[in-house]
Amino acid sequence: MFSSLLIDKNSPYCPGCGHLNVTLNLAKAIESLNIDPLDVIVVSDIGCCGLIDPSLASHTIHGLHGRACALASGISLAIENPNKKIIAVQGDGGATIGIAHLLEAARRNFNVTLIVNNNQIYGMTGGQLSGLSSENFQHEHANINESISPFNLIELAKSAGASYTCQLVGKGDFSEYLKKAITINGFSIIEILEVCPSYGYQKYSEIENLGFGTTEFTNERKPFKLNKAEIKSLINFNESKIFFESKLDKPLKIILAGSAGEGIQSAGELFARAAIKCKLNVTKKGDYPITVGTGFSVSELIISPNEIHYTGIEKADMLIAISQVGFDYTKSKIDDSTIVLADSSIQNINSSNKIIFDFGKIFGRKNSAVASLGTLINLKNFFPFEAFEDSLLESKHRDKFLPLIEKIKTFTSEINHIA
Amino acid sequence: MAPNISLIDGSKLIVESLAQSGVEAFISYPITPANWINQYSSKRFPIMTFAPDEITVAQWISGLSVAGKLPATATSFPGLALMVESINMAFMMELPLIIVIAQRLGPSTGSATVGAQGDLMLVNGLISGGYNIPVFSISNIYDCWEVTSKAVYTAVKLRTPVILLTSKEMIMTSHSIDLNKLPKIEKVEFDYYESDEKYIPYQTNKDYVPFYLPLTNNKHQVRINSSTHDETGTIKKATVSALGNTIRLHNKIQRRINEYLMYEYKKETSDLLIVSYDISAESTREAILQLNQKGIKVSFLFPKTIIPFSKELIEIINSYKKVLIVEENLSGLLTKIIYGINQPENVFKVNKIGSMITPSEIIKEVERCFQVY
Repeated sequence: MFSSLLIDKNSPYCPGCGHLNVTLNLAKAIESLNIDPLDVIVVSDIGCCGLIDPSLASHTIHGLHGRACALASGISLAIENPNKKIIAVQGDGGATIGIAHLLEAARRNFNVTLIVNNNQIYGMTGGQLSGLSSENFQHEHANINESISPFNLIELAKSAGASYTCQLVGKGDFSEYLKKAITINGFSIIEILEVCPSYGYQKYSEIENLGFGTTEFTNERKPFKLNKAEIKSLINFNESKIFFESKLDKPLKIILAGSAGEGIQSAGELFARAAIKCKLNVTKKGDYPITVGTGFSVSELIISPNEIHYTGIEKADMLIAISQVGFDYTKSKIDDSTIVLADSSIQNINSSNKIIFDFGKIFGRKNSAVASLGTLINLKNFFPFEAFEDSLLESKHRDKFLPLIEKIKTFTSEINHIA
Repeated sequence: MAPNISLIDGSKLIVESLAQSGVEAFISYPITPANWINQYSSKRFPIMTFAPDEITVAQWISGLSVAGKLPATATSFPGLALMVESINMAFMMELPLIIVIAQRLGPSTGSATVGAQGDLMLVNGLISGGYNIPVFSISNIYDCWEVTSKAVYTAVKLRTPVILLTSKEMIMTSHSIDLNKLPKIEKVEFDYYESDEKYIPYQTNKDYVPFYLPLTNNKHQVRINSSTHDETGTIKKATVSALGNTIRLHNKIQRRINEYLMYEYKKETSDLLIVSYDISAESTREAILQLNQKGIKVSFLFPKTIIPFSKELIEIINSYKKVLIVEENLSGLLTKIIYGINQPENVFKVNKIGSMITPSEIIKEVERCFQVY
């Protein structure tokens, strides 16, 4: 036999308080199940029922108002041993403010037992009504002329998926129900209707006269189990293979501007990987509105033989614009010295240094970003096209890029021929 | 050693550093611009799940921490705001946890995909009563590795929540970095209570930090308490022993700062010191390089342990005739933390909202600083 859960029989509660009987029943349940008090973790809320800690020989943790069930849930995430018993203790006030936590605990079916000491009122703050105060109690005790039906906590927890739900009147010996709640796998909630000599019902018969008795429900559900993903380092410490040389002797700032869905960010990444293959430093900064699937999408790329600190672009050396919305968003960053490579669909390009092609028609909208970057590399030769080719072939879209690479090569040789 | 270059973003480095430093659990709620950290975390930590809101996040990570699994989360201002009471709880309970804040433009929901440095006053004043929790700031891509690791060390060794303050452009921009420049990270171990004597949860010796025992142990009873408590973890009104325990929480953060103080300081023969942090430190570095090319020398100081703001840093700042503080917010939050509202005449500021401060904006102000006086 293990030692008793109860180490201090002096009640911390007001004389006649219903919480004492709950504490005694909890101790009886733990003892009759022959559970080591140090296998029990009691998580107590703010409120009179949260005074329980010093009475217990278990581990105790006393947290915030309304959060005991959430804190207990967090503890359960760390524990795989089903012999550890995590018991959260809240009042009706705590259950009201923290109602989302208990629904989530029920939905996930965490291995936690939640005891809700429902004495109908907030005792510590002077007898205010909670979301669990019965309508009858509201009529009798409230100074305000309103009557709102209370949450049915047990029904809510049940429909959210709790393994065991129980509501009972807190007189006499109800330790059998606590034992059920504690031993069942998954989330169990037991709402105990109580007296409060200071502000609430004075006698249990008053509660029983309202029609409250014992109701319980068991839900055959597996307890929560973490879906354990395969864990590995995010960094491949052996990925670098430098093959190419670049003659670039100063930073080059390139803006790739288009619309969401045009592969702007991934094209920018492929370009950045190519630059790395040429021993260049590179930064790639994305810019887009909060909506992921619409509006502009911009990739700001800096390549440099030197270390790059400031990753923004005040004025671009080159701007690739493949959609109007992208161009409009970035046009303030160009001046007469900026080389603008733009799709023919784009209007109002005020630059004497522009090169216009039908990227959309020739390569298709989805390929325009990669094709225009490839064309720019081929035309300006700031690093070898082969590095970009390598980068494309290493990507997961290799098969798609193989014909595209040939198309870019043919296209640029035709342009160079014309030039 | 030959360089080992990789294209990497700050979010990935932070997550890998957290994991190698000993973080085992990651709980979060989706929010821009912290989402990359959340995504990487789903493949990196043995315990990882999303919670239904940020109050729940903060409670779950507290539960994990007290049960022996070192946790972390990432969020942005709206999520941090919901976590404030729970972070106070974790501070009072003395739970190690790491909260990464990806700053974005406020107030309120502001603009989720626009960076900012707007939360420094909030994280400085987060704890009721004016107590500090350590706040670290990342001022370049390599800091995502080293400063993160120091944040984990501090959380565990001081048994406290810590904040890793960063911003959208710092953690969502990809950089080529030399992986060989990343120092090896040692896993941080809890200082466990190993004696057979009765465990008194909040009893400490001279280093102000109690030994740790998880609520899962079967040897000693553990009492953890968020309300005012004495060294046994029992709730007390303002008794001498309970207040002594509370005052210790202040002392452990303030008096052990040299153990977690990080900063970068470059001293030049100059009257002017530029102080900056987070994303603006990179603009400052570029501005200084450009100034050097013009033959102008200025010193710089980048605090990486930014709260508490160390006296050691104040002494450096006070040794200059002119100080220029560069940060991406409207009114100069670090300036307020250092000087209060009574800003001396020799202190200059570059402030801006809506986009990164540019090197040319800093250079312009530096040139103005040199003209004044």
